[in-house]
Amino acid sequence: MGKGWCLFFLFWPIAAVVSCAMAPWIGWSFPYDNAQAASNLGIRIDGLFYLILVITAIVFVGTQAAIVYALWRGANNREERADCVHGNHKLELVWSIIPGIILLFLAIYQMNIWADFRIKKYYPEVAVKDPIAEVTARQFEWRFRYPAIGKKLQQKPQPDDLHSVNELHVPFGKPVMIQLRSDDVQHSFFLPALRIKQDALPGLQIPVWFEANKPGTYDLVCAELCGWGHYKMKAHVIVQPEDEYQNYLKTLTEQQFYDGLGKIAATENDSESEATEK
Amino acid sequence: MFSKKTNELIPEAAKPVKEALVKQFGNPFALTQFEGLPTNFGDIEGTVKTVEPSGADQPLIRFQVTGLSDAYDKLQGLPLEWTSGKGQGHFSRIKEYNFETGMIAVEKSEEIDPQPGDTFLVECVRLQFGRDLYNRHCMHCHGMSGEGTGPTSRYLNPPPRDFRLGIYKYTSTKSTSKAQEADLERTVKEGIAGTYMPSFKLLTEDEVSAIVNYVIWLSIRGETEKKLDDELFLDYSQEVYDERTSEEGGETREEVLEELKEFMELDFPDTLEFATESVSEAWEEANEEAALVIPKTPRVPDTLESRERGRILYLSQKTKCASCHGPQGRGNGTATQDFWTNPATNEKYKNRGLHDIWGNQLPPRDLHRGIYRGGRRPIDTYRRLAAGIKGTPMPAFGGSLSDEELWDLVNYVMSLPYDGNR
Repeated sequence: MGKGWCLFFLFWPIAAVVSCAMAPWIGWSFPYDNAQAASNLGIRIDGLFYLILVITAIVFVGTQAAIVYALWRGANNREERADCVHGNHKLELVWSIIPGIILLFLAIYQMNIWADFRIKKYYPEVAVKDPIAEVTARQFEWRFRYPAIGKKLQQKPQPDDLHSVNELHVPFGKPVMIQLRSDDVQHSFFLPALRIKQDALPGLQIPVWFEANKPGTYDLVCAELCGWGHYKMKAHVIVQPEDEYQNYLKTLTEQQFYDGLGKIAATENDSESEATEK
Repeated sequence: MFSKKTNELIPEAAKPVKEALVKQFGNPFALTQFEGLPTNFGDIEGTVKTVEPSGADQPLIRFQVTGLSDAYDKLQGLPLEWTSGKGQGHFSRIKEYNFETGMIAVEKSEEIDPQPGDTFLVECVRLQFGRDLYNRHCMHCHGMSGEGTGPTSRYLNPPPRDFRLGIYKYTSTKSTSKAQEADLERTVKEGIAGTYMPSFKLLTEDEVSAIVNYVIWLSIRGETEKKLDDELFLDYSQEVYDERTSEEGGETREEVLEELKEFMELDFPDTLEFATESVSEAWEEANEEAALVIPKTPRVPDTLESRERGRILYLSQKTKCASCHGPQGRGNGTATQDFWTNPATNEKYKNRGLHDIWGNQLPPRDLHRGIYRGGRRPIDTYRRLAAGIKGTPMPAFGGSLSDEELWDLVNYVMSLPYDGNR
């Protein structure tokens, strides 16, 4: 059986390396477009992930190789007796200090990205100056409040604010910031494609910025188990060119101040114009 | 499946009601097409291509069909009407259906003998599509037959709507009309802020309309059941039956059943027909333009003067808004402290305050919250005031107030969340 165990321990590192290498092609990797993040910050965050993956892979393969070598040698050579070792000061130092250095390196190396992602002082100025909307997570939907066209977002709701639900439009080509709130319990604002995740806490208003590197529709999901309807909490973030975005805001304004007269195709029931079908 | 009231009838009276409902509506697992309903059942035509030979001991007969490749892919349980060949005019139930191979299995019977080239209609395809979506997204709160008691409902406040009365709160129609399809679609898409009804904006238009189609069908079924129950309840509920056959009542069981039998033979069919007809008509009429609440004048400009006029109206005896919503619109008017009488039973409610027709305690809205359940457009608020909120004590002011007055009220009410004294 000795050689069987050799094979067993040899199998796992190979399986791990092969499956990680194949992951992008068989859909086991990150979501969206060949596992490529849809934002520049996301690409940097992915870089961190891959760095950690490579380091752990090297360590894993190395330790497994050592195990296999030891087992193989023991299984092949019955004459050789094992040494009984009572600790080794040098070894202890080596395998404490090297991982320590690696951890320290990771901690320092990621600081820039973390600051760009999380520390308001380092947010893009354009985004901070003019938050685009207030996002309120509630059981179990996302509600959005935009400022009126040409105005700035205020802390308190204003009469001319624009409201929508489960559909956030943002302009393409500049970083945008949203103010994140929660109405009830903890939720989490998660844009998997952009690698953005931030918990929403009741009573706090948390600024989150993101910038997609191409226009499109991205999923916004909740990443905090917030109750029975957690799985329902899905919305779309629609990144579109500036002019389309302005058009959307105009339509939203028209819809929201609709007083039942005149025709707005998008808001009113088809039946209003074609009701008398008979 | 069946309402509480149906189950309170004596078994002999409940049986025909249940049978009639199953005959006309089927059940959620085996839908049935019922002519004359304003429901889009969505029939599709198909043709038999080949028939598999089957042994005499096999209960099912299998045949491959063409023409269903663009249709919805889950047709199990639906009725299949033969339109040519030996079985013309007869119905089968689809027992198995494989979309990939186009194989349908139905039960063997004397009347049918599918041959290549025979044509048939599969009925209720659209309804089934709506039903499957409903079961996935809505059923766990609103329940299997729309009774609002799904497994999740016990944790929700306000409780999910019971569709079986056919009454929906947030509509664009007059106070006596049902909801328009577009109203229900808007509710599904936008959700109801301040309640547990989430927004289903990520469903496609087609999916939303299929769900609404199914929900209205559930409503029609529930209303039909209610009408039949009302017809029988006064004479044949278990309670009345016990009274009639007691010492004082002096009737025997046979006499009561004889009378019931006579009623069933003579009046019941008409009752049934009238019940579904009137319900269907009401739903059809709601979708006509005449049912809509359309203001005669555009919104009065939202000025301080207009708001002030609105405030005076709000506090006046003419509207009595303050008696429920409170003098400052906090939803704490004096009406919330009174004990009210339930119009359905003529008994006092157990709790203080207002109730809706579903029997739930219902606090009047706090107008400062800035949460608008039926939509936050001025026209939405206008419609709440003009047509009231169906099923609740919120009355309709469309008749008693002029358009300008209504708009003044709208301006006042919509300014409350921003008046700074939060």
